[in-house]
Amino acid sequence: MTKGELPYLSAKNIVKDFGDNRVLDDVSIEIHSGDVISIIGPSGAGKSTFLRCINLLETPTSGVLSIGDFQIEIGEGHRRASKKELSTLRRNAGMVFQSFNLFPHLTVLENISLAQRRVLGRDKEEARARSMELLDRVGLKDKADQYPGRCSGGQQQRVAIARSLSLDPMVMLFDEPTSSLDPEVGAEILAVMRELANDGMTMMVVTHEMGFAKEVGDRVYVMVDGRIVESGPPAQVMSEPEHPRTKQFLSAVMGR
Amino acid sequence: MIGYILQGMIWTVVITLSSFAIGAVIGVAVAGARTAPFLIVRGIGRVWVEIIRSVPPLVWLFVVFFGLAEVGLRLTPLQAAIFTFGIIASVYLGEIYRGGLATLDRGQIEAARALGLGSFDLLTKIIAPQIFRTVSPSMVTYGMGLMKDSALASTIGVVEMTFRASQQAQTTGQGLAAFAIVGAAYLLLSIPLGVLARRADTKSRLKYVVN
Ligand SMILES: Nc1ncnc2c1ncn2[C@@H]1O[C@H](COP(=O)(O)OP(=O)(O)OP(=O)(O)O)[C@@H](O)[C@H]1O
Ligand SMILES: [Mg+2]
Repeated sequence: MTKGELPYLSAKNIVKDFGDNRVLDDVSIEIHSGDVISIIGPSGAGKSTFLRCINLLETPTSGVLSIGDFQIEIGEGHRRASKKELSTLRRNAGMVFQSFNLFPHLTVLENISLAQRRVLGRDKEEARARSMELLDRVGLKDKADQYPGRCSGGQQQRVAIARSLSLDPMVMLFDEPTSSLDPEVGAEILAVMRELANDGMTMMVVTHEMGFAKEVGDRVYVMVDGRIVESGPPAQVMSEPEHPRTKQFLSAVMGR
Repeated sequence: MIGYILQGMIWTVVITLSSFAIGAVIGVAVAGARTAPFLIVRGIGRVWVEIIRSVPPLVWLFVVFFGLAEVGLRLTPLQAAIFTFGIIASVYLGEIYRGGLATLDRGQIEAARALGLGSFDLLTKIIAPQIFRTVSPSMVTYGMGLMKDSALASTIGVVEMTFRASQQAQTTGQGLAAFAIVGAAYLLLSIPLGVLARRADTKSRLKYVVN
């Protein structure tokens, strides 16, 4: 897949207030098709909030979001997103959470098929075929009929990735997908993500895995106190950080 | 006398089942309001629940039956009873749902939203099947209470068991026998519900293993 010229997903001037607390202060990020960007930064910087704003799990106080040729302006003077718009936006931006969030009462196969059927309107067989294909891709074909409670954390996260991929999203958003897993298991997940990236998936990854950000990422953004303080090619940002907060953050993670 | 009194059982069952069904449906809205993201909606939900719960069912029954008639809405005793108990049930069942909702991991709801599932699917495919198992024992228990409360409908003239028994007591003077029959009938009706409650309880424990 060739990397596109036009931004594929862009979030412009995103502001998010929780009461008096400004958690995101004018954050803008754009990704081109096939790009992988990483967002790093200290705890409480607003990274999760930013990802959640992108698929409107959290409504930004103001800003403009666009994905493909779908665009929506949010803020005073703009109407709220309609149900249809929300659904369009969300199925085009697959989200993978730190805590997997599988549906425990559904089998692995049902977890992956549910939204295909209800959101995309695929029929049972079609959804099943696609789910099995994705399970194969994440190496869990034999777990199709298990309940998530019977799967290990790493397996659950792979199912969660397959579930998000099932809607054929334009971008995948990852919020620290490995941080609740043991390092070896985390490495499995990173391997799956690396493969996705190689297959040309556009990805936005919030992570503490500097190795992944460096090897796989096309750009890295450093977020501190709700602002992007620095961005650039990973090698450059990591070896020659400019902003004092970036230096401070990097030495803290590297020193661990 | 036995036959005459037991014929009233049908109304006990009709009132209980209908008002339970109404309450089970409207209860969803009550739970929804109580957990809404907007403070005003939550406030209204809260006040509504408190108002309904603080006033004795008998008083509500009179308010609906006699009160509404005064403003021109004349309900039959049966309609008034079903309506009143239905609204009361919606508040209690709504609170039971809300309790179940609290045991559900928020992350799943986020995941469902992130997949683009709408509110209806969220409710019917994700929330209901999971909380059903945790709330069904309390729901059955509430149903048993509701059945007993339905005897209050006799006060506005629904000819259910209690109504018939007091009629019989007055005309034959055999109050003890008449009400013993009613008591036995309630016991009989409760047994299957009790079994149901226990089954629901064990089932909720047995189902899917978590980690
Ligand atoms: N629903 C909320 N209500 C109020 N404040 C919130 C809410 N969600 C997040 N915050 C606040 O927003 C700030 C940013 O939180 P966020 O979770 O986005 O940080 P983060 O960069 O993802 O941190 P971490 O690395 O620990 O995951 C924090 O100060 C947090 O307390
Ligand atoms: Mg976070």
